Amino acid sequence: METLLIDCVQSSLRHFMLRNAIFLCERLCADFPSELNSQLLAICYLHNNQAYCAYHILKGTQMAQSRYLFAISCVQMDLLTEAEAALCPTEPNAEVPNGAAGHYLLGLIYRYTDRRKSAVDHFKRALSMDPLLWAAYEELCVLGAAEEANGVFSEAAALCIWQQLLNPGSNTPNLQITNEDHVVVLNKTLGSEEMSPRQLKSMQGNIFRDTPGNHVAVFSGGPSSQPSSGGSSNISLYGTPSPMPAQLYGVAPPPLCRNVQPNLNILGGESSPKSKINTTLQGSRRKLLDEGKLRKVSGRLFSDSEPRRSTRLAGEAANTNSNSLQVGTNGSGHSSTRYFGGLSSSSKLISAAIRSGTFCKGQPSASESFDEGRRSESFDDSRLDNTATTSSSASLFADDGSLERERTGQQMGGVLAHGSRVSSGILELLDLLRTLGEGYRLSCMYRCQDALDIYMKLSHKQYNTGWVLSQVGKAYFEMVDYLEADQAFTLARQASPYSFEGMDIYSTVLFHLKEEMKLSYLAQELISTDRLAPQSWCAMGNCYSLQKDHETALKNFQRAVQLNSKFAYAHTLCGHEHVALEDFENGIKSYQSALRINPRHYNSWYGLGMIYLRQEKFEFAEHHFRRAFQINPCSSVIMCYLGTALHALKKSEEALNMMDKAIIADKKNPLPMYQKANILVSLEKFDEALKVLEALKEYAPQESSVYALMGKIYKQWNIYEKAMLHFGLALDLKPSATDVATIKLAIEKLHVPDEMVDNL
Amino acid sequence: MATESSEGEEEGKAIGGNQHLVVDDDLREMAKKAAWSVSSCKTGNGVQFLRDDNLDTYWQSDGAQPHLVNIQFQKKVKLQLVVLYVDFKLDESYTPSKISIRAGDGFHNLKEIKTVELVKPIGWVYVSLSGADPREAFLNTFMLQIAVLSNHLNGRDTHVRQIKVYGPRPNPIPHQPFQFTSREFITYSCVR
Repeated sequence: METLLIDCVQSSLRHFMLRNAIFLCERLCADFPSELNSQLLAICYLHNNQAYCAYHILKGTQMAQSRYLFAISCVQMDLLTEAEAALCPTEPNAEVPNGAAGHYLLGLIYRYTDRRKSAVDHFKRALSMDPLLWAAYEELCVLGAAEEANGVFSEAAALCIWQQLLNPGSNTPNLQITNEDHVVVLNKTLGSEEMSPRQLKSMQGNIFRDTPGNHVAVFSGGPSSQPSSGGSSNISLYGTPSPMPAQLYGVAPPPLCRNVQPNLNILGGESSPKSKINTTLQGSRRKLLDEGKLRKVSGRLFSDSEPRRSTRLAGEAANTNSNSLQVGTNGSGHSSTRYFGGLSSSSKLISAAIRSGTFCKGQPSASESFDEGRRSESFDDSRLDNTATTSSSASLFADDGSLERERTGQQMGGVLAHGSRVSSGILELLDLLRTLGEGYRLSCMYRCQDALDIYMKLSHKQYNTGWVLSQVGKAYFEMVDYLEADQAFTLARQASPYSFEGMDIYSTVLFHLKEEMKLSYLAQELISTDRLAPQSWCAMGNCYSLQKDHETALKNFQRAVQLNSKFAYAHTLCGHEHVALEDFENGIKSYQSALRINPRHYNSWYGLGMIYLRQEKFEFAEHHFRRAFQINPCSSVIMCYLGTALHALKKSEEALNMMDKAIIADKKNPLPMYQKANILVSLEKFDEALKVLEALKEYAPQESSVYALMGKIYKQWNIYEKAMLHFGLALDLKPSATDVATIKLAIEKLHVPDEMVDNL
Repeated sequence: MATESSEGEEEGKAIGGNQHLVVDDDLREMAKKAAWSVSSCKTGNGVQFLRDDNLDTYWQSDGAQPHLVNIQFQKKVKLQLVVLYVDFKLDESYTPSKISIRAGDGFHNLKEIKTVELVKPIGWVYVSLSGADPREAFLNTFMLQIAVLSNHLNGRDTHVRQIKVYGPRPNPIPHQPFQFTSREFITYSCVR
């Protein structure tokens, strides 16, 4: 009954029938209380968003997987200390449970508790264990500690993935182990490439020996009779042990590549496995022809190693019998020692093929060539002593033992082809991740133009996805190019209208462009899609803020904060609204909360600088603007304000330098020129100021403050006609009431030149 | 600002009142954090009804004239406009007819700034606080007092339905001599 219940629970989980799963699992735990069953129950609860239930069940458990699940529930319940305690190994040499995933989770915990160095360390370890763990690389970028993508998603990573793919087996006959344990086992047993084939051999043998029933667990529910049935049917077609494909498919569950899992399920759980295997086997023949082409095109990594492997395989084929015992012992204590000659390498190739199969949009045909190669090698092993499934294969092995040498060459071709396919798949993925990673890293370091160039290198299909377009939009936003950002984000919305990535930034872009219609439309759409996403409320708040209704805007931003208190941008926007309402204390608090979450959020540094500028605490202002500038050195707006703060501190030289930098950084930004003119006026360098202002007139002819300032300068020089002219122009451009008053006052004073005139 | 009807400015003769409250964009309501008090009120028609954004509720005084509404700010503020909602049709003899606006640092040194005479007003009545001189565009004060000196038809007590006080918006960018008007400047003027 226990296995039956476990099956039911897992199948319910697969079909997302969570209530069913939970109920059955609770019955299971009642009758057969064991830690594994508790883990299963916890998994059910976690799927159902009931982290607290999982927490209570797993409290105090010691198994690696339990500790991992316990940590996940703690993180969801925000009990970070307990999560950390669960994940950290108590003995000095113990592994963090679940390898890469565990390190990633630990990194997150350290990040949330402000221990940046440890967080970075753990993310890096996670990445080294699993180079495809994109989320870890993303976190490193956000923390500002990411290495170049070329280094991370490199050939070494490809090797790592390759090796992991090739060692999917387990150490124990009990195949009810999780994928993560596979990885751990693989990592432990991985030695040289030479070793791995043997490991695989032993593992394969192991799996082969074990009853097909056990395979069910590994293959996530594949029909247990499949191998035998498949075998028998296939034998008729090819005279080879077809159970191998199925088992090997199951054997290589790459936890790294999540999409392989469904493939495995497909392979394992298909209703007509026979036909599938048949077709795949058939396909392999054809594939061999294609492989030749593939080999030339891709597989550079393995093209060299392939001849080696083929020779090795040939050698192994020769030595199988003698080696098998050695292999057996070499394999970390496998109980069974019957190994196929080339099984390990073939299984390696098979797993690689499975990998490439998934990459190449799930064409299982790749594995076929593996089958062939495998078959040839396995023929060696006449000591194969399996029961039902392998009886046929044994005979086959015996038969083909002689044929094996002849076919070796052919299979080597197949093997090589497979190797190249797998490697090409790995390389493709790594290439893609490298591009995306480099782009993301550069945009996190605010080197936006470079990031944009890199994103341009992506293929059309990848570029036109919501995520990439949002990143492009963000990059333009950081460069203060709001029109381009608007375009990019519009495309992103078209590509994936349901996605929330970057929508808060989009709403800010629309805010800057003063597009009320678009902004309110965006906000409405987002809220109707998901009321519980903080980005929707950010958009709504921006909408109200644009209409100057700061109190409602603040309410909306506070809602966003409530929904996700780790969303730094919502805190920053709250801060902006507080400042607009002149509530500086709360503004400072909000900005500081944002900085606590993400110290590289330069908007908050800027916000704090603005508050201090208003409060005339100029040193503080300068310090904060400088921090913002250090984080984002290409934003001309920040440079401009840094210059203003410097000027207020009377460091006018530096201020002018900063303004020049800002002018160069962004030609379209008129503000640095205006500020430069301001500074020059206060330094009484009226000529230069006037020159700057004349140039500025070309850029922004409708700006009343430019004319007002020019009028001031002429007034200073007592050129009354020009001053009057400019003041008049300034007034025509409808400045605010305060400025109207100021300008009118200035005009009045124009007519009394001999009186002492205080500055406007 | 004040649209079509009402407001004959010169000697404070205000006729009629506006149906809608229309205020310049660069003005904002200043008195949200101010302390409001009245010289007297009838139970159930207290000072809160002056600020509840509800034109059906009103403040009713209950004492001798002049009836006073005092608005005290925490710091000196620039004020430009006072708007009252009164309704002759509904309130008849309770409708104020002569209103005096005084300002100063406190109760001890209030000075009259403006007097307005209302004639059968229905709606929002705008009372500008600026003087003719550009120097006096705004009224800088700690305290504002609105005194109802007399009512229509010689009524004793008065009804006022809503009062709003407006002043200029501060410059969103600190340390700037002038505010920006053009879109290019405003777009680049801040990081959000």
